[in-house]
Amino acid sequence: MSAPDTALPWTVLLRVFMRSLFLQASWNPKGMQNLGLAYAVFPALERLYASGTAREEAVRRHLVFFNTHPYVAAAIVGGVVFHEERIARGEETPDKVVAFKAALMGPLAALGDGFFWLSLKPAAGAVGAALVPLLGLWAVPVFLVFYNLVHMLLRVRLYWLGLTLGDRLVEAVARANLPARGARLRTVAALCAGGLAAWLAVSFGANAGGAHAPLLAAGCLALGVASYVLVSRRVPNYVVLYLAAILAGAAGAFL
Amino acid sequence: MSVVWVQVALAGVWGGLVAVERKAFLQAMLSRPLVAATVMGLLLNDVPSGLGVGLLLELFFLGTANLGAALPENDTLAATATSAAAGTITLASGAGSTPAIWSLAVLLFIGMGRVGRRADRLLEGYSARLARMALASAEAGDLTRAMRQNLWGMWPHFVVYGVLTSLCALAGFFAEPMLQEMPPMMVRGLAWAWPAMASVAAAIAAQGSHARRAPLYAALGAAAVTVTVVFFLLQERS
Repeated sequence: MSAPDTALPWTVLLRVFMRSLFLQASWNPKGMQNLGLAYAVFPALERLYASGTAREEAVRRHLVFFNTHPYVAAAIVGGVVFHEERIARGEETPDKVVAFKAALMGPLAALGDGFFWLSLKPAAGAVGAALVPLLGLWAVPVFLVFYNLVHMLLRVRLYWLGLTLGDRLVEAVARANLPARGARLRTVAALCAGGLAAWLAVSFGANAGGAHAPLLAAGCLALGVASYVLVSRRVPNYVVLYLAAILAGAAGAFL
Repeated sequence: MSVVWVQVALAGVWGGLVAVERKAFLQAMLSRPLVAATVMGLLLNDVPSGLGVGLLLELFFLGTANLGAALPENDTLAATATSAAAGTITLASGAGSTPAIWSLAVLLFIGMGRVGRRADRLLEGYSARLARMALASAEAGDLTRAMRQNLWGMWPHFVVYGVLTSLCALAGFFAEPMLQEMPPMMVRGLAWAWPAMASVAAAIAAQGSHARRAPLYAALGAAAVTVTVVFFLLQERS
Protein backbone atom coordinates (compact mmCIF):
# COMPACT_ATOMS: atom_id res chain seq x y z
CA MET A 1 0.00 0.00 0.00
CA SER A 2 1.47 3.31 -1.08
CA ALA A 3 0.93 6.52 0.90
CA PRO A 4 -1.69 8.86 -0.55
CA ASP A 5 -0.37 11.92 -2.40
CA THR A 6 -2.79 14.88 -2.30
CA ALA A 7 -0.87 17.18 -4.66
CA LEU A 8 -1.80 16.05 -8.13
CA PRO A 9 0.89 16.56 -10.80
CA TRP A 10 -0.09 18.16 -14.10
CA THR A 11 0.32 14.83 -15.92
CA VAL A 12 -2.51 13.35 -13.85
CA LEU A 13 -4.67 16.44 -14.42
CA LEU A 14 -4.02 16.18 -18.16
CA ARG A 15 -4.91 12.48 -18.12
CA VAL A 16 -8.17 13.24 -16.36
CA PHE A 17 -9.02 15.87 -18.98
CA MET A 18 -8.16 13.56 -21.88
CA ARG A 19 -10.21 10.76 -20.37
CA SER A 20 -13.15 13.14 -19.92
CA LEU A 21 -13.36 13.19 -23.74
CA PHE A 22 -14.69 9.60 -23.40
CA LEU A 23 -17.46 10.69 -21.03
CA GLN A 24 -20.23 9.18 -23.15
CA ALA A 25 -18.42 6.06 -24.40
CA SER A 26 -20.81 3.86 -22.41
CA TRP A 27 -23.81 6.16 -22.11
CA ASN A 28 -26.62 4.05 -20.71
CA PRO A 29 -30.26 4.82 -19.85
CA LYS A 30 -29.90 4.03 -16.12
CA GLY A 31 -26.69 5.70 -14.96
CA MET A 32 -26.24 7.79 -18.16
CA GLN A 33 -22.67 9.19 -17.95
CA ASN A 34 -21.82 7.51 -14.63
CA LEU A 35 -19.29 5.10 -16.08
CA GLY A 36 -17.69 7.88 -18.15
CA LEU A 37 -17.28 10.17 -15.13
CA ALA A 38 -15.73 7.44 -12.98
CA TYR A 39 -13.42 6.55 -15.88
CA ALA A 40 -12.35 10.19 -16.27
CA VAL A 41 -11.50 10.88 -12.63
CA PHE A 42 -9.97 7.45 -11.94
CA PRO A 43 -6.30 8.53 -12.44
CA ALA A 44 -6.81 11.24 -9.79
CA LEU A 45 -8.50 8.80 -7.39
CA GLU A 46 -5.69 6.29 -7.92
CA ARG A 47 -3.20 8.96 -6.90
CA LEU A 48 -5.19 10.39 -3.99
CA TYR A 49 -6.22 7.15 -2.25
CA ALA A 50 -4.16 4.15 -1.36
CA SER A 51 -5.47 0.94 -2.89
CA GLY A 52 -8.11 -0.69 -0.75
CA THR A 53 -11.38 0.42 0.79
CA ALA A 54 -10.83 4.19 0.53
CA ARG A 55 -10.15 4.02 -3.22
CA GLU A 56 -13.04 1.62 -3.81
CA GLU A 57 -15.42 3.91 -1.96
CA ALA A 58 -14.17 6.90 -3.92
CA VAL A 59 -14.80 5.10 -7.23
CA ARG A 60 -18.22 3.88 -6.08
CA ARG A 61 -19.41 7.41 -5.25
CA HIS A 62 -18.83 8.34 -8.90
CA LEU A 63 -20.60 5.31 -10.30
CA VAL A 64 -24.02 6.67 -9.30
CA PHE A 65 -26.33 8.43 -11.78
CA PHE A 66 -24.68 11.34 -13.57
CA ASN A 67 -25.85 13.28 -16.60
CA THR A 68 -24.98 16.67 -17.96
CA HIS A 69 -23.86 18.27 -21.20
CA PRO A 70 -20.71 16.44 -22.39
CA TYR A 71 -18.65 19.63 -22.94
CA VAL A 72 -19.74 21.47 -19.81
CA ALA A 73 -19.11 18.28 -17.86
CA ALA A 74 -15.44 19.33 -17.96
CA ALA A 75 -16.28 21.87 -15.23
CA ILE A 76 -17.79 19.15 -13.04
CA VAL A 77 -14.87 16.78 -13.72
CA GLY A 78 -12.48 19.55 -12.60
CA GLY A 79 -14.67 20.27 -9.58
CA VAL A 80 -14.77 16.59 -8.61
CA VAL A 81 -10.94 16.50 -8.63
CA PHE A 82 -10.92 19.73 -6.56
CA HIS A 83 -13.22 18.17 -3.93
CA GLU A 84 -11.53 14.76 -3.95
CA GLU A 85 -8.20 16.44 -3.15
CA ARG A 86 -9.81 18.06 -0.12
CA ILE A 87 -11.50 14.83 0.93
CA ALA A 88 -8.17 13.00 0.69
CA ARG A 89 -6.59 15.68 2.89
CA GLY A 90 -9.40 15.26 5.43
CA GLU A 91 -10.69 18.82 4.94
CA GLU A 92 -14.09 17.71 3.64
CA THR A 93 -16.50 14.82 3.99
CA PRO A 94 -17.31 12.69 0.92
CA ASP A 95 -20.91 13.92 0.81
CA LYS A 96 -19.58 17.34 -0.36
CA VAL A 97 -18.51 16.00 -3.74
CA VAL A 98 -21.78 14.09 -4.17
CA ALA A 99 -23.76 17.26 -3.40
CA PHE A 100 -21.53 19.29 -5.75
CA LYS A 101 -22.31 16.97 -8.68
CA ALA A 102 -26.02 16.75 -7.88
CA ALA A 103 -26.34 20.52 -7.60
CA LEU A 104 -24.50 21.38 -10.80
CA MET A 105 -25.29 18.70 -13.35
CA GLY A 106 -28.85 19.92 -14.09
CA PRO A 107 -28.19 23.66 -14.47
CA LEU A 108 -24.97 23.07 -16.42
CA ALA A 109 -26.78 20.62 -18.72
CA ALA A 110 -29.38 23.27 -19.51
CA LEU A 111 -26.67 25.86 -20.11
CA GLY A 112 -24.62 23.54 -22.34
CA ASP A 113 -27.62 22.30 -24.33
CA GLY A 114 -28.79 25.86 -24.91
CA PHE A 115 -25.42 27.24 -25.95
CA PHE A 116 -23.66 24.36 -27.73
CA TRP A 117 -26.43 22.15 -29.15
CA LEU A 118 -29.09 24.76 -29.87
CA SER A 119 -26.92 27.78 -30.77
CA LEU A 120 -23.27 27.12 -31.67
CA LYS A 121 -23.92 23.90 -33.62
CA PRO A 122 -26.71 25.34 -35.82
CA ALA A 123 -24.75 28.58 -36.33
CA ALA A 124 -21.52 26.81 -37.30
CA GLY A 125 -23.45 24.39 -39.52
CA ALA A 126 -25.36 27.16 -41.28
CA VAL A 127 -22.21 29.28 -41.76
CA GLY A 128 -20.33 26.22 -43.06
CA ALA A 129 -23.13 25.34 -45.50
CA ALA A 130 -23.44 28.96 -46.63
CA LEU A 131 -19.71 29.04 -47.38
CA VAL A 132 -19.88 25.99 -49.68
CA PRO A 133 -20.89 28.06 -52.76
CA LEU A 134 -17.98 30.45 -52.06
CA LEU A 135 -15.20 28.17 -50.79
CA GLY A 136 -16.22 24.70 -52.00
CA LEU A 137 -14.32 22.01 -50.11
CA TRP A 138 -12.60 24.60 -47.86
CA ALA A 139 -15.93 25.37 -46.21
CA VAL A 140 -15.50 22.13 -44.25
CA PRO A 141 -12.23 23.06 -42.44
CA VAL A 142 -13.61 26.55 -41.84
CA PHE A 143 -16.67 24.99 -40.18
CA LEU A 144 -14.51 22.70 -38.04
CA VAL A 145 -12.15 25.48 -36.96
CA PHE A 146 -15.00 27.89 -36.16
CA TYR A 147 -16.83 25.31 -34.06
CA ASN A 148 -13.87 23.74 -32.31
CA LEU A 149 -12.13 26.97 -31.47
CA VAL A 150 -15.10 27.84 -29.26
CA HIS A 151 -15.73 24.26 -28.17
CA MET A 152 -12.19 23.31 -27.13
CA LEU A 153 -11.32 26.66 -25.57
CA LEU A 154 -14.46 26.59 -23.44
CA ARG A 155 -13.96 22.94 -22.54
CA VAL A 156 -10.40 23.53 -21.33
CA ARG A 157 -11.41 26.74 -19.54
CA LEU A 158 -14.32 25.07 -17.77
CA TYR A 159 -12.09 22.21 -16.61
CA TRP A 160 -9.59 24.72 -15.25
CA LEU A 161 -12.34 26.68 -13.49
CA GLY A 162 -13.61 23.49 -11.86
CA LEU A 163 -10.09 22.52 -10.77
CA THR A 164 -9.24 25.87 -9.26
CA LEU A 165 -12.57 27.22 -8.00
CA GLY A 166 -14.64 24.17 -7.02
CA ASP A 167 -18.14 25.34 -6.12
CA ARG A 168 -17.32 28.95 -6.99
CA LEU A 169 -17.13 28.03 -10.67
CA VAL A 170 -20.86 28.82 -10.91
CA GLU A 171 -20.17 32.57 -10.62
CA ALA A 172 -17.43 32.37 -13.24
CA VAL A 173 -19.68 30.46 -15.65
CA ALA A 174 -22.50 32.96 -15.07
CA ARG A 175 -20.13 35.82 -15.99
CA ALA A 176 -19.51 34.21 -19.39
CA ASN A 177 -23.13 35.16 -20.27
CA LEU A 178 -23.59 32.18 -22.57
CA PRO A 179 -27.39 32.54 -23.05
CA ALA A 180 -27.01 36.03 -24.59
CA ARG A 181 -24.17 34.88 -26.85
CA GLY A 182 -26.27 31.86 -27.85
CA ALA A 183 -29.17 34.10 -28.92
CA ARG A 184 -26.80 36.00 -31.23
CA LEU A 185 -25.50 32.77 -32.73
CA ARG A 186 -29.04 31.57 -33.44
CA THR A 187 -29.68 34.79 -35.35
CA VAL A 188 -26.57 34.09 -37.45
CA ALA A 189 -27.92 30.60 -38.19
CA ALA A 190 -31.28 31.95 -39.40
CA LEU A 191 -29.60 34.65 -41.55
CA CYS A 192 -27.27 32.14 -43.21
CA ALA A 193 -30.02 29.58 -43.82
CA GLY A 194 -32.23 32.23 -45.46
CA GLY A 195 -29.34 33.51 -47.55
CA LEU A 196 -28.42 30.03 -48.71
CA ALA A 197 -32.04 29.23 -49.66
CA ALA A 198 -32.04 32.35 -51.84
CA TRP A 199 -28.67 31.54 -53.40
CA LEU A 200 -29.80 28.01 -54.27
CA ALA A 201 -33.03 29.30 -55.83
CA VAL A 202 -31.44 32.11 -57.85
CA SER A 203 -28.50 30.05 -59.11
CA PHE A 204 -30.84 27.20 -60.02
CA GLY A 205 -33.00 29.63 -62.03
CA ALA A 206 -29.93 31.08 -63.71
CA ASN A 207 -28.50 27.67 -64.62
CA ALA A 208 -31.63 25.79 -65.68
CA GLY A 209 -34.19 28.42 -66.62
CA GLY A 210 -32.99 30.17 -69.76
CA ALA A 211 -35.79 32.60 -70.58
CA HIS A 212 -37.80 31.33 -67.60
CA ALA A 213 -34.98 31.93 -65.10
CA PRO A 214 -36.82 34.50 -62.94
CA LEU A 215 -39.90 32.29 -62.80
CA LEU A 216 -37.93 29.20 -61.81
CA ALA A 217 -35.95 31.07 -59.16
CA ALA A 218 -39.15 32.58 -57.75
CA GLY A 219 -40.80 29.14 -57.75
CA CYS A 220 -37.87 27.63 -55.88
CA LEU A 221 -37.94 30.45 -53.32
CA ALA A 222 -41.71 30.05 -52.92
CA LEU A 223 -41.13 26.36 -52.27
CA GLY A 224 -38.72 27.33 -49.48
CA VAL A 225 -41.23 29.74 -47.91
CA ALA A 226 -44.03 27.16 -48.16
CA SER A 227 -41.75 24.56 -46.53
CA TYR A 228 -41.02 26.94 -43.65
CA VAL A 229 -44.74 27.39 -43.05
CA LEU A 230 -45.49 23.66 -43.32
CA VAL A 231 -42.68 22.68 -40.93
CA SER A 232 -43.80 25.38 -38.47
CA ARG A 233 -47.24 23.73 -38.55
CA ARG A 234 -45.69 20.41 -37.55
CA VAL A 235 -45.79 18.75 -40.98
CA PRO A 236 -42.92 16.20 -40.81
CA ASN A 237 -39.68 17.36 -42.45
CA TYR A 238 -39.51 14.20 -44.56
CA VAL A 239 -42.99 14.78 -46.02
CA VAL A 240 -42.03 18.34 -46.99
CA LEU A 241 -38.73 17.21 -48.55
CA TYR A 242 -40.32 14.42 -50.63
CA LEU A 243 -43.18 16.71 -51.71
CA ALA A 244 -40.65 19.27 -52.93
CA ALA A 245 -38.71 16.56 -54.78
CA ILE A 246 -41.90 15.32 -56.49
CA LEU A 247 -42.97 18.85 -57.49
CA ALA A 248 -39.54 19.84 -58.79
CA GLY A 249 -39.08 16.46 -60.46
CA ALA A 250 -42.38 16.81 -62.29
CA ALA A 251 -41.49 20.37 -63.32
CA GLY A 252 -38.09 19.24 -64.57
CA ALA A 253 -39.59 16.35 -66.51
CA PHE A 254 -42.42 18.22 -68.21
CA LEU A 255 -41.34 21.86 -68.57
CA MET B 1 -21.69 -3.67 -63.04
CA SER B 2 -18.61 -4.47 -60.99
CA VAL B 3 -18.35 -3.77 -57.28
CA VAL B 4 -15.16 -2.07 -56.06
CA TRP B 5 -14.73 -3.66 -52.66
CA VAL B 6 -12.00 -1.27 -51.54
CA GLN B 7 -14.50 1.59 -51.80
CA VAL B 8 -17.10 -0.39 -49.86
CA ALA B 9 -14.54 -1.12 -47.11
CA LEU B 10 -13.33 2.50 -46.99
CA ALA B 11 -16.92 3.71 -46.67
CA GLY B 12 -17.44 1.28 -43.78
CA VAL B 13 -14.31 2.36 -41.90
CA TRP B 14 -15.19 6.07 -42.16
CA GLY B 15 -18.84 5.37 -41.30
CA GLY B 16 -17.72 3.48 -38.19
CA LEU B 17 -15.20 6.12 -37.08
CA VAL B 18 -17.61 9.05 -37.28
CA ALA B 19 -20.28 6.99 -35.52
CA VAL B 20 -17.90 6.70 -32.55
CA GLU B 21 -17.02 10.40 -32.72
CA ARG B 22 -20.70 11.37 -32.80
CA LYS B 23 -21.43 10.49 -29.19
CA ALA B 24 -18.81 8.28 -27.56
CA PHE B 25 -15.63 10.30 -28.05
CA LEU B 26 -14.70 13.99 -28.47
CA GLN B 27 -17.74 15.27 -30.40
CA ALA B 28 -15.70 17.74 -32.42
CA MET B 29 -18.38 17.68 -35.15
CA LEU B 30 -16.48 15.42 -37.55
CA SER B 31 -19.74 13.49 -37.55
CA ARG B 32 -21.84 16.44 -38.80
CA PRO B 33 -23.31 15.72 -42.26
CA LEU B 34 -21.27 18.47 -43.96
CA VAL B 35 -17.98 16.98 -42.72
CA ALA B 36 -18.84 13.27 -42.71
CA ALA B 37 -20.29 13.33 -46.23
CA THR B 38 -17.52 15.50 -47.73
CA VAL B 39 -14.76 13.30 -46.31
CA MET B 40 -16.67 10.28 -47.60
CA GLY B 41 -16.63 11.96 -51.02
CA LEU B 42 -12.87 12.48 -50.70
CA LEU B 43 -12.32 8.83 -49.78
CA LEU B 44 -14.44 7.59 -52.67
CA ASN B 45 -12.80 10.05 -55.07
CA ASP B 46 -16.08 11.91 -55.59
CA VAL B 47 -15.88 15.22 -53.72
CA PRO B 48 -18.79 16.91 -55.58
CA SER B 49 -21.24 14.19 -54.46
CA GLY B 50 -19.98 14.37 -50.88
CA LEU B 51 -20.25 18.14 -50.79
CA GLY B 52 -23.67 18.21 -52.50
CA VAL B 53 -25.15 15.58 -50.19
CA GLY B 54 -23.40 17.02 -47.11
CA LEU B 55 -24.72 20.52 -47.75
CA LEU B 56 -28.30 19.32 -48.12
CA LEU B 57 -28.25 17.01 -45.09
CA GLU B 58 -26.43 19.55 -42.89
CA LEU B 59 -29.32 21.94 -43.49
CA PHE B 60 -31.99 19.26 -43.17
CA PHE B 61 -30.71 18.09 -39.78
CA LEU B 62 -29.51 21.49 -38.50
CA GLY B 63 -32.09 21.81 -35.73
CA THR B 64 -31.79 18.28 -34.31
CA ALA B 65 -30.09 17.90 -30.93
CA ASN B 66 -29.38 15.14 -28.46
CA LEU B 67 -31.02 16.57 -25.35
CA GLY B 68 -30.94 14.42 -22.21
CA ALA B 69 -32.21 10.91 -22.86
CA ALA B 70 -34.11 11.90 -26.03
CA LEU B 71 -32.65 10.38 -29.17
CA PRO B 72 -32.72 12.43 -32.37
CA GLU B 73 -32.44 10.87 -35.80
CA ASN B 74 -28.93 9.68 -36.57
CA ASP B 75 -27.86 12.45 -38.97
CA THR B 76 -24.36 10.96 -39.21
CA LEU B 77 -25.56 7.61 -40.54
CA ALA B 78 -27.89 9.41 -42.96
CA ALA B 79 -24.91 11.44 -44.23
CA THR B 80 -22.37 8.63 -44.50
CA ALA B 81 -24.88 6.21 -46.04
CA THR B 82 -26.20 8.73 -48.58
CA SER B 83 -22.80 10.08 -49.60
CA ALA B 84 -21.33 6.56 -49.84
CA ALA B 85 -24.19 5.50 -52.10
CA ALA B 86 -23.85 8.67 -54.21
CA GLY B 87 -20.11 8.02 -54.53
CA THR B 88 -20.54 4.42 -55.65
CA ILE B 89 -23.34 5.33 -58.11
CA THR B 90 -20.96 7.87 -59.68
CA LEU B 91 -18.16 5.30 -59.73
CA ALA B 92 -20.36 2.66 -61.33
CA SER B 93 -21.70 5.10 -63.94
CA GLY B 94 -18.17 5.87 -65.12
CA ALA B 95 -19.23 9.46 -65.78
CA GLY B 96 -18.98 12.46 -63.49
CA SER B 97 -21.08 13.29 -60.47
CA THR B 98 -24.42 14.99 -61.23
CA PRO B 99 -27.24 16.55 -59.18
CA ALA B 100 -29.49 13.71 -60.44
CA ILE B 101 -27.23 11.21 -58.64
CA TRP B 102 -27.27 13.29 -55.45
CA SER B 103 -31.07 13.48 -55.57
CA LEU B 104 -31.45 9.75 -56.15
CA ALA B 105 -29.09 8.96 -53.26
CA VAL B 106 -30.87 11.40 -50.92
CA LEU B 107 -34.32 10.08 -51.81
CA LEU B 108 -33.23 6.47 -51.31
CA PHE B 109 -31.02 6.77 -48.23
CA ILE B 110 -32.04 9.78 -46.13
CA GLY B 111 -34.29 7.43 -44.16
CA MET B 112 -31.15 5.83 -42.70
CA GLY B 113 -31.36 8.58 -40.07
CA ARG B 114 -34.37 6.76 -38.63
CA VAL B 115 -32.69 3.36 -38.91
CA GLY B 116 -29.77 4.87 -36.99
CA ARG B 117 -32.03 6.10 -34.22
CA ARG B 118 -33.45 2.58 -33.82
CA ALA B 119 -29.90 1.16 -33.73
CA ASP B 120 -28.88 3.78 -31.14
CA ARG B 121 -31.72 2.62 -28.90
CA LEU B 122 -30.72 -1.04 -29.28
CA LEU B 123 -27.07 -0.27 -28.48
CA GLU B 124 -28.12 1.41 -25.24
CA GLY B 125 -29.05 -2.07 -23.98
CA TYR B 126 -25.46 -3.19 -24.47
CA SER B 127 -24.13 -0.13 -22.63
CA ALA B 128 -26.52 -0.81 -19.76
CA ARG B 129 -25.00 -4.31 -19.48
CA LEU B 130 -21.51 -2.79 -19.37
CA ALA B 131 -22.59 -0.42 -16.60
CA ARG B 132 -23.91 -3.35 -14.55
CA MET B 133 -20.64 -5.23 -15.08
CA ALA B 134 -18.67 -2.15 -14.01
CA LEU B 135 -20.70 -1.85 -10.82
CA ALA B 136 -20.24 -5.55 -10.05
CA SER B 137 -16.47 -5.29 -10.66
CA ALA B 138 -16.23 -2.21 -8.42
CA GLU B 139 -18.14 -4.04 -5.69
CA ALA B 140 -15.72 -6.94 -6.02
CA GLY B 141 -12.77 -4.55 -5.70
CA ASP B 142 -11.55 -4.95 -9.30
CA LEU B 143 -11.45 -1.23 -10.15
CA THR B 144 -9.31 -1.50 -13.28
CA ARG B 145 -11.80 -3.91 -14.84
CA ALA B 146 -14.67 -1.66 -13.80
CA MET B 147 -13.11 1.34 -15.52
CA ARG B 148 -12.24 -0.60 -18.65
CA GLN B 149 -15.95 -1.27 -19.27
CA ASN B 150 -16.34 2.36 -20.33
CA LEU B 151 -14.20 1.88 -23.42
CA TRP B 152 -15.95 -1.33 -24.44
CA GLY B 153 -19.03 0.77 -25.16
CA MET B 154 -17.47 2.14 -28.35
CA TRP B 155 -16.83 -0.89 -30.52
CA PRO B 156 -20.47 -1.80 -31.25
CA HIS B 157 -21.00 1.70 -32.66
CA PHE B 158 -18.01 1.29 -34.94
CA VAL B 159 -19.09 -2.15 -36.15
CA VAL B 160 -22.84 -1.56 -36.52
CA TYR B 161 -22.61 1.80 -38.31
CA GLY B 162 -19.58 0.72 -40.31
CA VAL B 163 -21.48 -2.30 -41.64
CA LEU B 164 -24.61 -0.24 -42.36
CA THR B 165 -22.56 2.36 -44.28
CA SER B 166 -20.79 -0.38 -46.24
CA LEU B 167 -24.14 -1.91 -47.17
CA CYS B 168 -25.36 1.45 -48.47
CA ALA B 169 -22.16 1.89 -50.49
CA LEU B 170 -22.76 -1.58 -51.92
CA ALA B 171 -26.40 -0.69 -52.67
CA GLY B 172 -25.11 2.27 -54.69
CA PHE B 173 -23.52 -0.12 -57.20
CA PHE B 174 -26.89 -1.86 -57.62
CA ALA B 175 -28.83 1.43 -57.88
CA GLU B 176 -26.73 2.72 -60.77
CA PRO B 177 -28.36 0.51 -63.46
CA MET B 178 -31.71 1.94 -62.30
CA LEU B 179 -30.46 5.43 -63.17
CA GLN B 180 -29.16 4.21 -66.54
CA GLU B 181 -32.57 2.80 -67.48
CA MET B 182 -34.49 5.94 -66.55
CA PRO B 183 -35.87 8.01 -69.44
CA PRO B 184 -33.99 11.32 -69.90
CA MET B 185 -36.99 13.36 -68.71
CA MET B 186 -36.92 11.55 -65.37
CA VAL B 187 -33.19 12.15 -64.99
CA ARG B 188 -33.83 15.83 -65.71
CA GLY B 189 -36.56 15.78 -63.06
CA LEU B 190 -34.12 14.31 -60.56
CA ALA B 191 -31.57 16.98 -61.45
CA TRP B 192 -34.18 19.67 -60.72
CA ALA B 193 -35.13 17.98 -57.48
CA TRP B 194 -31.72 18.65 -55.90
CA PRO B 195 -31.86 22.48 -55.74
CA ALA B 196 -35.52 22.26 -54.73
CA MET B 197 -34.72 19.87 -51.88
CA ALA B 198 -31.72 21.97 -50.85
CA SER B 199 -33.93 25.10 -50.75
CA VAL B 200 -36.45 23.22 -48.64
CA ALA B 201 -33.66 21.97 -46.37
CA ALA B 202 -32.44 25.57 -45.96
CA ALA B 203 -35.96 26.64 -44.98
CA ILE B 204 -36.12 23.75 -42.49
CA ALA B 205 -32.72 24.92 -41.18
CA ALA B 206 -34.01 28.46 -40.68
CA GLN B 207 -36.94 27.01 -38.77
CA GLY B 208 -34.59 24.76 -36.77
CA SER B 209 -32.20 27.60 -35.93
CA HIS B 210 -34.24 28.27 -32.75
CA ALA B 211 -33.72 32.02 -33.36
CA ARG B 212 -36.31 34.27 -31.76
CA ARG B 213 -37.36 36.00 -34.96
CA ALA B 214 -36.16 33.33 -37.36
CA PRO B 215 -38.56 34.19 -40.24
CA LEU B 216 -37.45 37.84 -40.16
CA TYR B 217 -33.73 37.05 -40.14
CA ALA B 218 -34.10 34.33 -42.77
CA ALA B 219 -36.02 36.76 -45.00
CA LEU B 220 -33.33 39.41 -44.48
CA GLY B 221 -30.60 36.93 -45.43
CA ALA B 222 -32.57 35.80 -48.48
CA ALA B 223 -33.23 39.37 -49.62
CA ALA B 224 -29.58 40.39 -49.26
CA VAL B 225 -28.34 37.37 -51.21
CA THR B 226 -30.99 37.70 -53.93
CA VAL B 227 -30.18 41.37 -54.54
CA THR B 228 -26.42 40.65 -54.61
CA VAL B 229 -26.64 37.64 -56.96
CA VAL B 230 -29.11 39.35 -59.33
CA PHE B 231 -26.88 42.45 -59.38
CA PHE B 232 -23.83 40.39 -60.37
CA LEU B 233 -25.80 38.38 -62.96
CA LEU B 234 -27.08 41.58 -64.58
CA GLN B 235 -23.58 43.06 -64.59
CA GLU B 236 -22.23 39.92 -66.28
CA ARG B 237 -24.81 40.19 -69.03
CA SER B 238 -24.39 43.91 -69.67
